[in-house]
Amino acid sequence: MTDREVNILLVEDNQDDIELTLHALRRENLANKIFIVRDGEEALDFLFCTGPYAQRAPELIPRLILLDLKLPKISGLEVLQRIKADPRTQSIPVVILTSSREESDLVNGYRLGVNSYIQKPVDFDQFRDTVKKMGLYWLVINQYPISNGDKKAEVRHGERSSNS
Amino acid sequence: MRRPAEILLVDDNPADVGLVCDALARTPYGSHLNTVSDGEEAMAYLRRASPFSEAVRPSFVMLDLNLPRRDGRGVLAELKSDAGLRTIPVVVFTTSGSLRDISRSYELGANCYLTKPGNLNDFVAAVQALEAFWVRYAALPD
Amino acid sequence: MASAAPTVSGKRKLCALLVEDNLLDAELVRHSLEHEGFEVDSDVVQTEAEFRARVTATPYDVVLADYNLPQWRGVEALDILRAEDLDIPVILVTGSLGDIAAVECIKRGVTDYVLKDHLTRLPASVSRALEETRYRQERARAENALKENQERLAGILASAMDAIVTVNEQGQIVLFNEAAELVFQCPASEAMGQPLHRFIPERFQAAHEEHVRKFTAGAATRRRMGKVETLVGLRANGAEFPMEASLSRVETQTGKLFTVILRDVTEQEALRRLRQRAEETLSKKAAELTRSNRDLEQFAYIASHDLQEPLRMVASYTQLLAERYRGKLDDNADKYIGYAVEGALRMQTLIQDLLAFSRVGRNGSEPKAVNANLAVHEALQNLRSTLDESRANVVCDNLPAVAVSRSQLVQLFQNLVGNAIKFHGAEPPQTRITAEKADTAWLFSVADNGIGIAPEHHDQIFMIFQRLHARAEYPGNGVGLAICKKIVEQHGGKIWVESDLGRGSTFRFTLPDCGSNQDGLEKT
Repeated sequence: MTDREVNILLVEDNQDDIELTLHALRRENLANKIFIVRDGEEALDFLFCTGPYAQRAPELIPRLILLDLKLPKISGLEVLQRIKADPRTQSIPVVILTSSREESDLVNGYRLGVNSYIQKPVDFDQFRDTVKKMGLYWLVINQYPISNGDKKAEVRHGERSSNS
Repeated sequence: MRRPAEILLVDDNPADVGLVCDALARTPYGSHLNTVSDGEEAMAYLRRASPFSEAVRPSFVMLDLNLPRRDGRGVLAELKSDAGLRTIPVVVFTTSGSLRDISRSYELGANCYLTKPGNLNDFVAAVQALEAFWVRYAALPD
Repeated sequence: MASAAPTVSGKRKLCALLVEDNLLDAELVRHSLEHEGFEVDSDVVQTEAEFRARVTATPYDVVLADYNLPQWRGVEALDILRAEDLDIPVILVTGSLGDIAAVECIKRGVTDYVLKDHLTRLPASVSRALEETRYRQERARAENALKENQERLAGILASAMDAIVTVNEQGQIVLFNEAAELVFQCPASEAMGQPLHRFIPERFQAAHEEHVRKFTAGAATRRRMGKVETLVGLRANGAEFPMEASLSRVETQTGKLFTVILRDVTEQEALRRLRQRAEETLSKKAAELTRSNRDLEQFAYIASHDLQEPLRMVASYTQLLAERYRGKLDDNADKYIGYAVEGALRMQTLIQDLLAFSRVGRNGSEPKAVNANLAVHEALQNLRSTLDESRANVVCDNLPAVAVSRSQLVQLFQNLVGNAIKFHGAEPPQTRITAEKADTAWLFSVADNGIGIAPEHHDQIFMIFQRLHARAEYPGNGVGLAICKKIVEQHGGKIWVESDLGRGSTFRFTLPDCGSNQDGLEKT
């Protein structure tokens, strides 16, 4: 699994939320190629191919990261900061999907460069609708810069020619 | 229900402005569309410089890349390196589907990147989905 | 003469053949020699036959012959020796010999003659004869060796590939070998004695003289000329030619000799120029290619943005017209607007397809070992809804890993399987993917039971925007197979189709084996 293409990296420790998210995405046929990590450290290991993911092909970059904020080991905001600070990962769209209603989380999220910030609705139907719209928006409508090795190479190619 | 969103559309093509306006008029969100037609105006608007001293801080920006005077990349770079403005989401909305433009935009801090569909219905649908996502689903700082 | 003097210690050996009918005389002869220090080993013969037999059997140092024998004259021994090619000195030892006979004998080659009553003279005569013979033989040997040497040298000169020309101190040619004859197109007989200038173009003569002058003054006796710079020679017919030359100097008793060894490098020079021109052309082409690639990139960008933008205006606003004013103008207006919309939308797809085509291979990712099974799997996933709709059945053998960029391999299979399904016949589409090893490459086949392609169209279908069917019948722009061809050819492979109308189609293509490079192989 880990050396296949991944569309969505879901960073979530709450099993209920995982199930709900998968359920909503599956109804829209968006759930294939989804990979789940359960804490901030694992998320970073996965993205940077370290620790248990040292054998993973680093050019296989997810199209979207769904990031919870309250995570074990390393917090969601710190994970976000690390992703946006590294040129290998900074262009991957990150969507914070959180139950936090803190204005400071919201502002800090955008300040650290999150691509969008979504507060999980408490109501189940609303949650499902939100995940569905979020999935369609980011995976279908949005143009993502990288998905696999070939695309990544084209990105580098493009950079060079745009600088010349 | 939140108060209506303030959208800043930066686009020099009146035909596209017309289509966006038309598409937004048919949604239930009642967003206010504010339009400027080049990069200089966009920065003036965001900084509430003359003649935009009365401008309202936008909920998000829809930014075309190829603009007269100062292009969208310049606007994006300046906006995202300004501590006061960087929390405003920027949706790049352009004709270019070039990977070069897409990746450059993300590097400069674009929140997302949508290409203008060539087909009218798809164009309207894209504008409406864009509005719905940012107004209805995403949480935005005040 | 030293050898004639008697020696006490070492006796000189002498093997002598005596031609004598008087045994007493023979004994006297021997005695006279031994007396003077010879250790004589001798045979005595009387007849011509005996003489011939003896002289050919034993290497005698000397023949001592009586002049007057009953059967023959001793002087005739000379004829026998000459006939047998034996170089043995003959001394006549005789009782009496008139002056005339003596002269005749000397003329015929007798070395000396000694009268029997003056035998004391004999040892000295023998010594002198031996000495003379030795000297003559040595000289003959030396002459032979010299001749042999000269012949060998002449052979070398004649067979040398390089022209060899020797000039004396006066600048006259004294040696001109066969290769020189060929190179300068001048027979040696004409060249000999001529000045070397004759074979150097006038404008180079001064430089050549200076060259030789320096060389003469310098200590070096060998020097390679024209090692850096090719020299120019002049043929007898006035034609010039490039040459390489080396110069050597020999001091002889008659003066200095300069030898030039030179080679006509017309062909090498022509080859060098040809190569140089080819390299120049190549680098010019490479530069052109780089420029045209850059232009293509620029074009791709323009197509993806600048061209699309106005086109989008046309499409969007004609669509808006169609929507807002349907039925409000006349029927023709609706129809015309419909055509305009359709044209604009098709143009958009064409541009997108063209872009996709131009993008093939510009992704720049290194081809690595990719498991073709995974690529097929991904291609089929992408085609899922099409496969379901047409109730298509795709069978796939176990496929190898190939050295191809992963996304391109997926696209290749996706386009071919997609095609196989699109052009299906009355039966539900059946597609079979197989692979077999062909040398260092793999031969893949994608076979279907579709409508087939007439042989005259087999090449045409791989060209961009080539379609065989009306758009209404089978949609598409004719880009898919062009992209397949581009992908396969970029990896050094070939793609072709085997098909006939109504008999299905088998698309075959070759892709490089990933060889021993298994590092990048994806795990299944």
